[in-house]
Amino acid sequence: MRSTSAELHTLTGAYAVNALADTERTAFETHLDRCGSCAAEVAELTATASRLGTAVDSPPPPHLRARVLKAAAETRQLPPRTARVPRIRRLREAGGLLVAACLVAAVVVTAQGLGSTKDSDTLAQISREYSQFTDFLSTPDVKLVSAAGPDGATGTAVVSASRDELLFLSRDLPEPPADRVYQLWFLDAGDPRPAGLLPATGSAPMMASGVSGAQKVAVTVEPQGGSATPTNPPMMVISLV
Amino acid sequence: MPKRERSLQSIPRDDDRPAEPTANDLLALVARGDEAAFERLYDHVSGSVFGLIRRVVRDQAQSEEVFQEVMLEVWRTATRFDPGKGSANTWILTLTHRRAVDRVRSAQAATHREEHVARLDTTRPFDEVSEQVDGRLEQRQVRRCLGNLTDLQRESVLLAYYQGYSYPEVASLLGLPLGTVKTRMRDGLIRLRDCMGVTG
Ligand SMILES: [Zn+2]
Repeated sequence: MRSTSAELHTLTGAYAVNALADTERTAFETHLDRCGSCAAEVAELTATASRLGTAVDSPPPPHLRARVLKAAAETRQLPPRTARVPRIRRLREAGGLLVAACLVAAVVVTAQGLGSTKDSDTLAQISREYSQFTDFLSTPDVKLVSAAGPDGATGTAVVSASRDELLFLSRDLPEPPADRVYQLWFLDAGDPRPAGLLPATGSAPMMASGVSGAQKVAVTVEPQGGSATPTNPPMMVISLV
Repeated sequence: MPKRERSLQSIPRDDDRPAEPTANDLLALVARGDEAAFERLYDHVSGSVFGLIRRVVRDQAQSEEVFQEVMLEVWRTATRFDPGKGSANTWILTLTHRRAVDRVRSAQAATHREEHVARLDTTRPFDEVSEQVDGRLEQRQVRRCLGNLTDLQRESVLLAYYQGYSYPEVASLLGLPLGTVKTRMRDGLIRLRDCMGVTG
């Protein structure tokens, strides 16, 4: 997370051959969402790298074919993503659709909106502390939400629907167990969507893209490198609606 | 193999049989739950997918496991493929590489890998590729284009791609600063891209 943006631009090659560590990869993917030239270069270099894969072609053992086809026939496919529209307001109307059966342990604090002076003060403070996010924090539609976790830990999310991004900050989060990391998730009506790994350095902020449609964000403890779906119950949940 | 089909598709055929669908066409059908299309896609890509996994993971049994996971993930997530962001072949091989590297980087493999790195003083990934080249057009092109890279560019790219090493690991193997390895990887891939005429 500490790389400057000039350094980030040179990571396209290492990213295309999958040579970045997980935290760096997450940071770079956030960068990719906003840097058109890096995104275009990554598309080309990834296509180039995949030619190296095609060059080492070797047929799998024949008996795997039937096994894979059978497994596919018995596996439900992910639903397609729907069009992304700024829709925090729409979500409010959609209200109680969310199923959150496994979230009982977490304390949920609902959004306050930015009406209160306290929220504006908090935003101003975050902005002073992390000047690199001033631009994001001054987006007109940002909204501040927070929740408490175990042992006095707190999580704060600043959401912008128009930018489809979220800034997450934690305070007093205990060190994750050895070989474990904290992972952030977007929760909506479908499967939890991975939103990135929390920086290893305690309370450092992280940006996540793709918040549109999410009704909550959650934090879980996951194996090093993160998981495709949560493997533990959330230790913190922040409601965005 | 996709190249040959693209040209076939544009040329009318005598026998009136419909042209072979490309991997992109098949993946679009798979996204709609078409099991027959998945079967054809399997025949299309399973060689590249397994070859790449085998190359990175090495162990046959583990490679077979990862292969099945990847093929099932292709089926499961076909709905998320966005043709605007690249070809189906690239999408599938990128997913494959990610999973193969995840496997070799997993905690279980960590100790093995340390021993492996220690033994790796004379790795020659380029030569290993050359051995496997059987004269197919695509492979000959890859080989020829790899020959245009400087040694450090080639080694940086191939150690990461075929051995699944992170760039700090590559830096330590080659005795180079981290920043140098990052730029060698990028420069090397750019040279390959230009040589192969890849447009993304
Ligand atoms: Zn950039």
